[in-house]
Amino acid sequence: MMSFYYANQPLIDFFLLAVGLGYSQQLALRAGVFSIATAGFSALGAYATAILVTRHGVPVPFAIMIAAFVGIAASYILSVPLARLRGAFQAIATLAFVQVVIALLLYFEAFTGGAIGISGIPRVMNTGWLLLAVLVTIYVIWSINRTSVGRVFSALRQDDSVAASLGIPIKNYYALAFVLSGVIGAVFGSLRSLYVFNIEPIDFGFHAMVASLTVVVLGGRNTLLGPIAGALIMAVLPELARPLAENRGIVNGAILILVITFLPNGVGDELVYWFRRRMRRRNQTTALTPQPHKEDKHVIATD
Amino acid sequence: MLLQQILNGTVSGAIYALFALGFTLIFGVQKLLNLAHGAIFMAGAFIAYYATVQGLPFWFALLLATVSTGVISVIVDFVAFRQLRKAGHAEFAAIVTSIGVDLILMNIAQRVSNTKVLSFPFGTFPVKFYNILGLRTSLLQLTILGLVLVLVLALAYYINRTSFGRQVRAVSSNENASALLGISAPAVYRQTFFIAGALAGLAGVLIGLSFNSIHFMMGEPFLLQAFVVVVIGGLGSLQGAVIAAILIGIIQSLTIAYLSSELSTAIIFALLFVTLLFFPNGLFGRAGNYAGGSRR
Repeated sequence: MMSFYYANQPLIDFFLLAVGLGYSQQLALRAGVFSIATAGFSALGAYATAILVTRHGVPVPFAIMIAAFVGIAASYILSVPLARLRGAFQAIATLAFVQVVIALLLYFEAFTGGAIGISGIPRVMNTGWLLLAVLVTIYVIWSINRTSVGRVFSALRQDDSVAASLGIPIKNYYALAFVLSGVIGAVFGSLRSLYVFNIEPIDFGFHAMVASLTVVVLGGRNTLLGPIAGALIMAVLPELARPLAENRGIVNGAILILVITFLPNGVGDELVYWFRRRMRRRNQTTALTPQPHKEDKHVIATD
Repeated sequence: MLLQQILNGTVSGAIYALFALGFTLIFGVQKLLNLAHGAIFMAGAFIAYYATVQGLPFWFALLLATVSTGVISVIVDFVAFRQLRKAGHAEFAAIVTSIGVDLILMNIAQRVSNTKVLSFPFGTFPVKFYNILGLRTSLLQLTILGLVLVLVLALAYYINRTSFGRQVRAVSSNENASALLGISAPAVYRQTFFIAGALAGLAGVLIGLSFNSIHFMMGEPFLLQAFVVVVIGGLGSLQGAVIAAILIGIIQSLTIAYLSSELSTAIIFALLFVTLLFFPNGLFGRAGNYAGGSRR
């Protein structure tokens, strides 16, 4: 176990970072906001932390907190125009947001270091801290899922007009989901900058956007297991495909297509659904009288 | 100087229009974001390059690239989208499958070119310059403008005036109802994918020729620009896409000439954002498109 850990430590750390960004991406999608802004939030968080720590000597915990506030502010401001759009147009708007962030990072060279980025960031993160951050994130999302807020998110995704007709202030909940996504994205961006020594605008561009979206769509959009499963596949795939060396892109691409075609809900979600179906069947066979009301209460919450 | 920049911007905008038209067509008809469109564009440039290097005449290479990218695009539809449409998960899943296709095509191109930046042999296209009213134009620029004009008019005629165009518009507004009327939706999808791919491939060849650089990642910036064109031009509006593409080409060449290239990207995407906010249907889109409406 320990030797496995030492041999694969960077892989594990990047897996944990990918899981965190995956949760940021998933929170938005779960509430029906088709946002791909996670990369932009993580860029803001990473740059805020890096500038504060390297130039102004701000202690690391405060820098992370300020990064979180930057994420909250940015996502709150962005949620206002986003609430007026739907579906693919939200995706395009958030894509524009990320592109503007990247372009500005490149332009304000004196402040952000331009294309070279910021280097010499102290490396204070290790596997333990990253694991703690992921666990805290999971706990927060798990708690949200157990409250009415989580059920509202699911309702919004399934049909926002029904949710509105039930008296739910949908714009507030869209904003809430988006702000949660923003703060998680910014914090994990900040942790990333404290792990990799130097950051460049390119780290947060189109590829980062695509990567966190892929993690969630591959793993699953609705369950807690989703981003973990997705990040695991994305971390292990390149390693498995290593013997194929130069054909790696072909193998990765083919696996993405196959998984989505045959498991459209994502690997993690399909696993959870399969397990739930199994449990339900087992309960039905053991209990002599079926209890339909027990199921009804959680129809929305459990999808 | 200003007029010269506007002319250059119009020419690159015309090429963006070719690329974005296909993207708009797929997005408008199927509501799919085809992220593999950039790779198909790149494939066009590659096919034309290797054809000319083999000694084929350029006009034939251009034709070959156009037809083969059309076919590639249909294959992409068959492999990546057809299954999803059947299952009805297309909106999210198509993004991932098209990324998969993108990875595969880029990997093949990288292998074929050994990660090198290629350029057409000198003299592939006659290098001639003219002075018209004090503006310096090349034969290539004039040819591109003429070619794009002809293609856009032909496409507009096809979509708006022919029976096929009516089928496309019927399927894009309601697939089930058009199936009841005897329109085969898969056939319509195949044809839109062929047209979209062919236009992208042609744009790839023209870009490769005018910027003189062909490499396996060349599609990405154009894909991002196509998003801007789709939004500013308005969903499903072909003339909107053309006007928006030329507008973006001009804005880009002006900002690069007078400000800086980073700021140019920021301005273009900020423009996209503002457009989405105040004109969610685009500057030329018809009212009632679904940008602000509820999801399917």
